[in-house]
Amino acid sequence: MLDSFRSSILYDVLKLTSTLLLVFMLTAPATAGPGPPKRPDFPQGVSTTNPGNDLWREVRQRDLPVTGTSQVKGVDSGVLINVEGDRWARFRIDNPVRHAPTLLVAVVLVLLAFYVLRGKVGIEGGLSGRMVFRFTDYERSLHWCLAIVFLFLAITGLILLLGRTLMIPLFGHHLFSLIASASKEGHNLFGPIFLVSLLLMLVSFARRNIYEKGDLTWLLKGGGIVGKGHVSGGFFNMGEKSWYWLVILVGLAISISGLILVFPNFGQGRVIMMVSNVVHVFGAIVLIAVSIGHMYLGSIGTEGSSEGMKSGYVDINWAEAHHDRWAKTCHENDEILSAEEFARLQGNPIDSGDATTGAAND
Amino acid sequence: MIEYLIKGPLWYFSLAVFCIGVLWQMARIVFAKGKTDLSVARGSASSGAIRNVFSRFVPHREIAAQIRLQVVAGYMFHLGLFALLFFAAPHVHFLEKHLLGFGWTPMPHWAFIVAAQFAFFGLILLWLRRMLNSVSRLISTTDDHITAILTFVVMLTGCLALGKGFHALNLLHFFTVELLMVYFPFSCLMHAFTFIPSRAFTGAWFGRRGIDA
Repeated sequence: MLDSFRSSILYDVLKLTSTLLLVFMLTAPATAGPGPPKRPDFPQGVSTTNPGNDLWREVRQRDLPVTGTSQVKGVDSGVLINVEGDRWARFRIDNPVRHAPTLLVAVVLVLLAFYVLRGKVGIEGGLSGRMVFRFTDYERSLHWCLAIVFLFLAITGLILLLGRTLMIPLFGHHLFSLIASASKEGHNLFGPIFLVSLLLMLVSFARRNIYEKGDLTWLLKGGGIVGKGHVSGGFFNMGEKSWYWLVILVGLAISISGLILVFPNFGQGRVIMMVSNVVHVFGAIVLIAVSIGHMYLGSIGTEGSSEGMKSGYVDINWAEAHHDRWAKTCHENDEILSAEEFARLQGNPIDSGDATTGAAND
Repeated sequence: MIEYLIKGPLWYFSLAVFCIGVLWQMARIVFAKGKTDLSVARGSASSGAIRNVFSRFVPHREIAAQIRLQVVAGYMFHLGLFALLFFAAPHVHFLEKHLLGFGWTPMPHWAFIVAAQFAFFGLILLWLRRMLNSVSRLISTTDDHITAILTFVVMLTGCLALGKGFHALNLLHFFTVELLMVYFPFSCLMHAFTFIPSRAFTGAWFGRRGIDA
């Protein structure tokens, strides 16, 4: 029976088929096409390459930053996942979010130390009570408008930048999200007001802030704050001019980058917006840090300097100490008011006997 | 509880104070007894009144240069505030649903933002000018400062609530509006209702005497 089967045609067919199957099974991996690239550092015995890896590598476009095609027409619509976004997010956390609080606290501590060591920068002979006109109502209104809007933007901006790190542990997620939402709306609303104020400031003050001969000497002598020597200055000294141009230029950079961020519908891509965010954040931190110094010098740091932006008039001794070239022209043009005249202008008439030194500045 | 208080009793109380207060103040003005003018009329009181109502929208040529800031900032603030008050979508919907029963087409969101920026910029400049100019500072009263600050706070809380995600911000805005409504009839904010009668009265007086002012 078995011999007859072995001699039959059916036996030959089965034998050939099984032989072919065996050959096919042994050679199949080599003929199925190229597999995943073999990495020399990867143990060959446990090769578990996920076939989805290639797909996701293409989707993320890490190695191949090629824009795909899409039926959706728009900026970056051919990019499924922007690789730069991840890099930007890490950069933002590692740099401004981590270092901005340190920088701002350091500025405050340095000024505090300076105040303790140096004290208020006084005027030789003290305030005289005799005043000279310096800023118009419009100029002072503009200055304070810019200052108020800047402070509002600085506070809301710092909440948005640092709030997740610093405020959530204090207030919790819900209250912080409420504050952050309000800050975002307020920040976006007041941003354009800052830009308009800045442009008006540029028009009103630019001519008097052009650098001139003698400004470098002021810088080399440290503006008179370091040391005791007298430093010559015009209507604005080198420090004030530099602060002014810093505000204008960095302020414009912050404003323009802010507008790019607020209006994403004007065709700018994500990369431009990420760069704008970096410019916006770094510019703002620099401006906030330097503005703390400006506020210090304009208030408790220097005797008599706040008066100019309050009443529009400054003491002639203050002018001679910090802006001697301008004070000289005031003397020549006979523009100096007595303490009585100044008090009358301010609506606080005083008896001539009370017009002692500094009385008008109270 | 707080929401019930703000949207319930406090709302009806502030609405009542506002309406009764404004009517009472206007009635006081209308029924105030003045001296009868016995002089012979040199001109038309009516035309003087109408002329004065409109001519006061533009500053006198002689002082226009000195008060440019107040005029520009004043228009920015008042027009911005008017647009916000009557054409902001949340306000139109609120008036339609809770007070009037009908509404009108609100302005688009971008116009809302621009109007708010005009109003804020104008109000800040006006208040700063009031504080920084020695004459304005002298003639300003506590009421002027309270009014400016309260108006600013109301506008600010309204704009901070634009995100719509937080009911607490809406309630805060609602509460500040109620404070403003209670304060309104007893403050210089009443000029919103009195500025036209006041101009007309002065204009009629001038017109009758033939004063071209």
